[in-house]
Amino acid sequence: MSERADLRHGNEVVPLAEAKLAAPRLRAELVERPRLSVALDAGQGRAVTLVAAPAGYGKTTAVRAWCAARGAAPAWVTLDVGDNDPVRLWSYAATAVERAHEGLGRDALQRLSHAGSSLESSVDALMNAIATSGEGVVIVLDDMQAVEDEECLATIDHAVKRLPRAARLVLIARVDPGLGLARLRGRGDLLELRARELTFTPAEARMLVVERGGIQLGPDEVELLCERTEGWPAALALACIWLRSVDDPRGAVRDFGGSHGFVVDYLTDEVLASLDDDVRSFLLSVSVLGRFTPEQCDGVLGRTDSASMLARLGRSNLITRLERGGWFRVHPLLAEFAGSQLESEQPGARAAIHARASAWLRSHSLLVEATEHAAAAGDDEAVAQLLVENHLSLIRAGRARSLLRSVRTLPNDKLVEHPVIAVGAATAALMAGQSTLEQRRFLHLADRARAKHPERVGPYVEAVAGMVRAASVDGDVGKAVAAGRRAVEFAADSDDVLVAALAALASALYFAGELDEAWVVGLRALEHPEAELRPPGHAVARSALALVAVDRKRMGTARTHAEKARAIVGRLGTSRSWIGANASAAFGAVLAGEGDHAAADRELAYAEHFFRDEVATVHHAWILGVLARVRTRRGRLDEAEAALRSALDEIAELTDPGSVLAMVEDVGRELGEAKSRAADGEVLELPSTAELAVLRLLASELSVRQIGRELFLSPNTIRSHTRALYRKLGVNSRMDAVARAEALGLLGRPESPM
Amino acid sequence: MHSRRYRLVVQGELSDRVEAAFEGMTLTRDEGNTRLEGSVRDQAELQALLRRVSDFGLTLLSATTIGEETGRRAQA
Repeated sequence: MSERADLRHGNEVVPLAEAKLAAPRLRAELVERPRLSVALDAGQGRAVTLVAAPAGYGKTTAVRAWCAARGAAPAWVTLDVGDNDPVRLWSYAATAVERAHEGLGRDALQRLSHAGSSLESSVDALMNAIATSGEGVVIVLDDMQAVEDEECLATIDHAVKRLPRAARLVLIARVDPGLGLARLRGRGDLLELRARELTFTPAEARMLVVERGGIQLGPDEVELLCERTEGWPAALALACIWLRSVDDPRGAVRDFGGSHGFVVDYLTDEVLASLDDDVRSFLLSVSVLGRFTPEQCDGVLGRTDSASMLARLGRSNLITRLERGGWFRVHPLLAEFAGSQLESEQPGARAAIHARASAWLRSHSLLVEATEHAAAAGDDEAVAQLLVENHLSLIRAGRARSLLRSVRTLPNDKLVEHPVIAVGAATAALMAGQSTLEQRRFLHLADRARAKHPERVGPYVEAVAGMVRAASVDGDVGKAVAAGRRAVEFAADSDDVLVAALAALASALYFAGELDEAWVVGLRALEHPEAELRPPGHAVARSALALVAVDRKRMGTARTHAEKARAIVGRLGTSRSWIGANASAAFGAVLAGEGDHAAADRELAYAEHFFRDEVATVHHAWILGVLARVRTRRGRLDEAEAALRSALDEIAELTDPGSVLAMVEDVGRELGEAKSRAADGEVLELPSTAELAVLRLLASELSVRQIGRELFLSPNTIRSHTRALYRKLGVNSRMDAVARAEALGLLGRPESPM
Repeated sequence: MHSRRYRLVVQGELSDRVEAAFEGMTLTRDEGNTRLEGSVRDQAELQALLRRVSDFGLTLLSATTIGEETGRRAQA
C-alpha cells in the first residue's frame, strides 16, 4: 500500500486507511452548479448542514465543489460500517481536522490515544481547539448512513452541541441520520440540501451533456433525457458516457425515452457494452472492492497493469480518483449494478474477489478491513482466523462493538471450533453491557468446545471464560467467586488475562462480602507490571477497590480509585458501557459515602440504566439497593421505596445474591424508620412563607450558603429559618425535614422521578 | 418465529441481473415498475432488503405484506 497511517491505541496499532480521509477529486469537466454552492453558503451561522438524498444524487460532488469554491480544505472523513465504533470514528475525525488545520486535532488525538481521558473530553478538546483558533473549520462526514451505533450518534450529538460558531459540520447521507434533527431544525441550526435541490435542471443537464460532454443533442432530446432520468445526476453521468460511444446519440436518446427499463440498469448495460472485453472485465472486478489502490488491484486480481487500466477508466469518468494516497473508487451506484452483472455472468466471482481482497488486506495488516471482506466472501473460517488474531487488540482498545459485529456473522459451530473467539466475544458482550443473554450464549459455546475439541480449550480460554463469569456475576455470587478463583489459576499460565482475572475476582469477592480478600486481590491486579496496558481489567479492579474502601470508610482512597476507574473507562469508549457503569457506580458510592447524596443519586441513576438487562443480575439488584439508600437519606422516600421494591424483585430471581441481600434488607429498615419519622407527630405550626421558600431549597442539593445566595439572605438567616422549620415539623435533620414535608405535600412534585 | 411474504414495488423495470442481488425474491416486471416478492424472516431481514433497494438507488413505491408463512419454512 502506498500510504498508511497508524493510530496508536494504548499499545495496539489500529490501521487508518488513507482512503477514508481523502475527498474525491473534482474533475475538470464537471458542471458547475453555483446554485448549490450558494445554498450551502447560506448555511453560514448554522451548526449543521445535512445533505441527504439517495445514491447518485451528486451529494459528495456538491459539497466538494462548495469546499473548493471557499478555498479552504475541509476535514473530510468518508465513513463505513466499521466506524460504528466511537473511538475509531473520532480518531478519523480528529486526524482529518489535524490535516486540514495543523495543530487543531493534536490535543484530541493525544487524548484518544492515551488512557485517562474520556471520549467526550476528546471531542471537547477538538471543539475547543477549533473555537480558540477562530478558523472556519468545516468537518465533512460523508456516507453518514453507515453509522447507526447509538453511542457514535450520541458523541456526534455531543459535538454538535459544542460546535464553535465559526465551524460547520456537514453530514452527507442517503438516509437521515439518527440525530436530533427536529430540534436543530426548530432552532434554525440546520441547513438541508435534499434530492429536490440536487436534481439537475434541464439547463444544467444541457451544460453537462451538450457543452461539457460534446454530445450533439437538440433541446427536445435533452428534455427527454432529463425526463427519463428525472434529473438524477448519476443517470445523467452514465448517459453521457454511453452517448459518447454511440454513432447516433439523438436516436439513442429517443429509444431510451421509450424504454421501460430501470434507468441506471439500462444505462449500465449500454455503458458496459461500449467497453472492450478486458476493460469491461476489469471494471466488473474492481467494482466489488469498494475503495482500492492500483497496487491492491494488481495483488487481488493477479494483474500488473491496474495503474494504466485505472487511468483509462478514469478518463471515461467511470472511476473516481480520491485526493490523496492514490486511492480510487467506482461510483457506488455503478458498483452495485456492475457487481451484480459480474455475479450473473460468473456466479461465485464476487465472493472469490472478496476472499482475495481479504487475504491481501490481511498481509498488509489491515485486519478490520480484511475481516469485512472475509465476511462479504461468506468465508466463515477466514473471518474466524482473523478474529483469533485480532480479538485481543480490539478488546484492549475498548472496541467491543466492532468485535461483536464480526462475531455475529459467524454460525455457532464456528465458535465451537474456535473457543478463543467464543470467550473473546463473551468478554466483548460483558464490556458492551446489557447483553447477559448473549454473554451466556458465548460461554455456553465455549463449554461445548470443551466437550468437542478439548485440545483447543487451553488455559487462556479457561481463564477468559472464568474471568467473564466472575466479572459479570450474573445471578450467582458463589459461582462467580469460584469462577474467578479458577480464572486466576489458569491465568497464571497465560499472562494475557491475569489482570482481568484478578480484577473480576476482586469484584465478585466484594459482592460476596469478602472485603479483606477483595482488597488484597484488587491490589494484586494493580501491582501487575502490565496493569496500565490492560485498561478494561485495570478499570474493573479500581472500581472494586473503590467499593471496598467506601465500605471501610476510607473515603480518600475510595475517591482516588473511583476517579482513576472513570478516567480509564472514559478513554475506553465513553462511560456508556458496562465497564463504564461499574466505574460510575463506584464513583456514586464514593459520593454517597462523602455525604453528597444529590450528586450520588445522579451518578448512580445513570449507571443503573446500563445494568438493566433482559434478566435479573446481582449488579442491578445491588445498584438499586444503593440508590434506595441514597434516596432515603435525601428524604425522597417515595423514590427510595420504588428503588427498594425493584431491588427486591431482582433479588427474588437471583440464585445467590451474596451480600447484596443483607445490604438491601438494611436499606429497607433505614427506609422504614425514615417513613415512620415522617408520618409521626403533629405539625405544631405551619411554616411561614419565607420558611417554605427555604424548605423547598432544602429539598435541593444546595448548601446553606448557596440557599442564602438564591434567596438573597445571609447564611445565618437561613439557619434560623431552618431551626424554626425543624421545630414546626417536629424533626431533627434536613433529611427528615424534607421527608416530612414531602409526606405533608408541602413540596409539590418531586424533582426527579427514577 | 413467523416469516411473512412481502411485496415491494419499485419504479422502473429491473433486469435479471438485479434479481441475483435480491436473493430469494421473485421479480416481476409490469408497465414500467418491478414487483419483488418473497418471504422475509424478520424485521432485521426486511430492513436489509430495504437497504438493498436504497443501495441500487431504486424508488420504492409500496411495501406490503401478502400473507404469513409457518415457522418451519422460515427456518429452512
